[in-house]
Amino acid sequence: MFQITRIKDNGHEILQLSGDLTIYSAAEARHELETHLSQHPTLVLDLSEIDELDTSGVQVLLWLKREAAARVGALSLVRHSPAVVETFDLLHVTGIFGDPILIGPA
Amino acid sequence: MDLDQAKQTFIIEAHELLDAMEESLLAPESSEAVNAMFRAVHTIKGSAGLFGLDPIVRFAHTVESVMDRVRAGSLAFDPDLVNLILACHDHLAQQISELQEGDDAGSPETIAEGDALLARLLPYLETVPRPAAPPTTLVTHESHPHEEEDDQPCWHISIRFGPDILRQGMDPLSFLRYLQTLGSITHLTPLLDRLPAGPDFDPERCYLGLEIDLDTKVERQVIEDVFEFVREDSQIRIIPPRSKVEEYIQLIRELPEGDHYLGEILVKGKCLTPKDLEEALGTQRQEAFEDGTVQGRMLGTIVIQDQAVPPAVVAAALDKQKKAKEKTGHEVKVVKVQAEKLDRLVDLVGELVIAGATANTLAAQGTDSRVLEATAILGKLVEEIRDNALSLRMVQIGETFSRFRRIVRDVGQELGKPIELEIRGAETELDKSIVEKLSDPLMHVVRNSIDHGIESQEVRRARGKPATGSLSLNAFHESGSIVIEVADDGGGLNKQRILAKAVERGLVQDPSSLTDQDITNLIFEPGFSTADAVSNLSGRGVGMDVVKRNIDELRGTIEVETYEGAGTTLRFRLPLTLAIIDGFRVGVEDTFYVIPLDMVIECLDLGPFLESEQNHLINLRGEVLPFLRLREVFETRGAVPARERVVVVQFGELRAGIVVDRLMGEFQTVIKPLGELFRSVKGLGGSTILGSGEVALILDVPQLIQLAVTRKHALQPRLSTVS
Amino acid sequence: MAKTIMIIDDSASLRQVVSITLTGAGYEVLEACDGRDALAKLTGQKIHLMISDVNMPNMDGISFLKAVRELPAYKFTPIIMLTTEAGEEMKKAGQAAGAKAWVVKPFKPELLLTAVSKLILP
Repeated sequence: MFQITRIKDNGHEILQLSGDLTIYSAAEARHELETHLSQHPTLVLDLSEIDELDTSGVQVLLWLKREAAARVGALSLVRHSPAVVETFDLLHVTGIFGDPILIGPA
Repeated sequence: MDLDQAKQTFIIEAHELLDAMEESLLAPESSEAVNAMFRAVHTIKGSAGLFGLDPIVRFAHTVESVMDRVRAGSLAFDPDLVNLILACHDHLAQQISELQEGDDAGSPETIAEGDALLARLLPYLETVPRPAAPPTTLVTHESHPHEEEDDQPCWHISIRFGPDILRQGMDPLSFLRYLQTLGSITHLTPLLDRLPAGPDFDPERCYLGLEIDLDTKVERQVIEDVFEFVREDSQIRIIPPRSKVEEYIQLIRELPEGDHYLGEILVKGKCLTPKDLEEALGTQRQEAFEDGTVQGRMLGTIVIQDQAVPPAVVAAALDKQKKAKEKTGHEVKVVKVQAEKLDRLVDLVGELVIAGATANTLAAQGTDSRVLEATAILGKLVEEIRDNALSLRMVQIGETFSRFRRIVRDVGQELGKPIELEIRGAETELDKSIVEKLSDPLMHVVRNSIDHGIESQEVRRARGKPATGSLSLNAFHESGSIVIEVADDGGGLNKQRILAKAVERGLVQDPSSLTDQDITNLIFEPGFSTADAVSNLSGRGVGMDVVKRNIDELRGTIEVETYEGAGTTLRFRLPLTLAIIDGFRVGVEDTFYVIPLDMVIECLDLGPFLESEQNHLINLRGEVLPFLRLREVFETRGAVPARERVVVVQFGELRAGIVVDRLMGEFQTVIKPLGELFRSVKGLGGSTILGSGEVALILDVPQLIQLAVTRKHALQPRLSTVS
Repeated sequence: MAKTIMIIDDSASLRQVVSITLTGAGYEVLEACDGRDALAKLTGQKIHLMISDVNMPNMDGISFLKAVRELPAYKFTPIIMLTTEAGEEMKKAGQAAGAKAWVVKPFKPELLLTAVSKLILP
């Protein structure tokens, strides 16, 4: 099940995505993330709780990044989960997003 | 299990199918019989292929082709052909028997006989028979030693995926993962230029393109086949290693992206040198200038024609199937067990499930991973035991249905109405305890149909119907429930008469406010009977209200579908078992509720989906659904939390949202009857004890949906939180 | 976690062989004997792929495909349809209903495994 939770990190607001960001949840994710974006054009997404990410999920994130830029905001992705890293590696999209991926202790 | 065992299954199955085929051959008039024959041969062929039994595949294939023509109506099933197919049937039976004796290839006599029969089948085939299809085999590929030392032996794959592939369950990621099993991907460039900005973006549409360089030893066909399931909708271009520069340039020309962009990708993958590229693009511009177009052609794209093919509905040859099943029954060893012993076992398993849940909860609170692991294994075993124990109590409904054959005939004769009974879905299984409680209501409904539904022969003739009435009993599974239908082709319910009677009896005050369905449902009101003349069969003081009560007790529902002059169908929808359910736990304040999991569609935050607070409506991606708050239904005290959750539930065709404070996840539960205190509370179906020892209330979803739909929120008893 | 595949076919021996093959490759396999049985067994659990015969009693593969696409939990589950050379018309109806992956019967077990691997690896 896909979920978005607001968390605070050192006083900054971050959206934590959890569960499966796949074709099953893509429509919902796009809808909810767009709502958040309309309020805060600069978004930070914590991906540490993503269990599964497929092509439609990548498309949603990329679309969001472009939308943020169009609204003179920015989208940053942080704390990529192993599932996110695997998908990004397979599709070679890490460069398109441009966020650093930290490979830390599990 | 191993392949030998599977082969034994095949032999038994083939014999059964051939028996069914023989039966159909002896009464070949109906289309159902022809279908049954076709399917028998078709199934034998399909399974034989799996075991590599080529002679059987070859023979069955030709018989199937002939049967297919009969089925399609392009070939008459005359006595000559029936005899020939009978001979083919015997031959197949002989092949299977020889297989049973361990002779996979078949004896020389049998092979000769087969050839002779194939020759006789020939004239019945449309054209020259397709060469008997040998099972498709995977080609193994040998490596090519001469390519070894090359530092750029890469295949270039260029693909623009079709827009609908994600919706069809195909993810480009899977193809990449599979490609990696064939070789190594040396370069990959994702192309997402087609991804639109703003509201045009459809999150379920695929906009991805890939330029891939693959280092592999497999042959072209294997690479092409990786994409076989998306080939029709996608643009795919595969260029072998060390192809001529022109091939790459052609690719660049034909793809929609910018020439230089693609060129650079190819240079990066070492398919082209920068010099090749520069020279080639120069020439290309020249040519484009000369012929005035650079427009790319579509690459090997096959356009699917959406021809309106009527879905060829294949009628089920159920009776034949049933007989085949009964025959298998003889070979199965059966131990008779007293019903009470079985019930006791199921009770104990119920307790075991609760005890298991308790252990699980406790283990999860601790930190010992070994305990967690042990309880997890235990949990899995308990689940298996539960399923097994419940399956012991599952019985086919066929036996109950069959009892009606005699009743329908006798009652029909008594009333002078010849009636044919059709039984479908006899092999559908349900809990024994439900079957037992079902015979009475079923009996009542069947008698009602014969008595009041089906007209007398004279009336039927006058209405242009066949003199023989038809009654059917049908059972099937549908989304976690079992559905039982009793249908007749009689006069249907007379709504005017029902309404008149209801008014006369004081059951209805304002007839104008009733919908057709409301009127139909009046027959379930206590003290209602429409029979003009009370026969000695029904009308024994038992009305449809009793039937409804019986079904209610089983946590089921009744629907009536009636067409005046054409007949009535009564549909019972029942749970598969009464004892144990998979539940989804939710919380309101400090009370827990359980929703049967098979009725849960999805869970959402209420906020973003709220359509109208005043009318209690949510908007689920365009579908507007009513919702109700549990805290309002059960008048729970306390403040509404900032973030409310909604569980979307479905029963039959109705959907609604149930709003709660918290979602607490799935768990398995044993249903205990409600105490006296709660029995009259609408919306509750039972109670259960949680692993922690606390009590949770099981929601009666059908009732709640009904409540949400009709917006009748006035609930009788006052009830605050439950301790 | 192993990926779960459901095989829907009225032939018990075919189901057994498919089940042996896929289990051997590391998948979990659920079996159903026709479309109706499959629908009854689809209770919200995660299924990564379905393999369905077309010609079955009670509910044929095409009706099943249409019904399964109505269930939110299986709306996007990949489905491989099994058909015969004689089933061209069926195939057209199936393609209109959105079935893109077809495997022609009779087939060798390893061929089906290859088809499955293209859509999901164990």
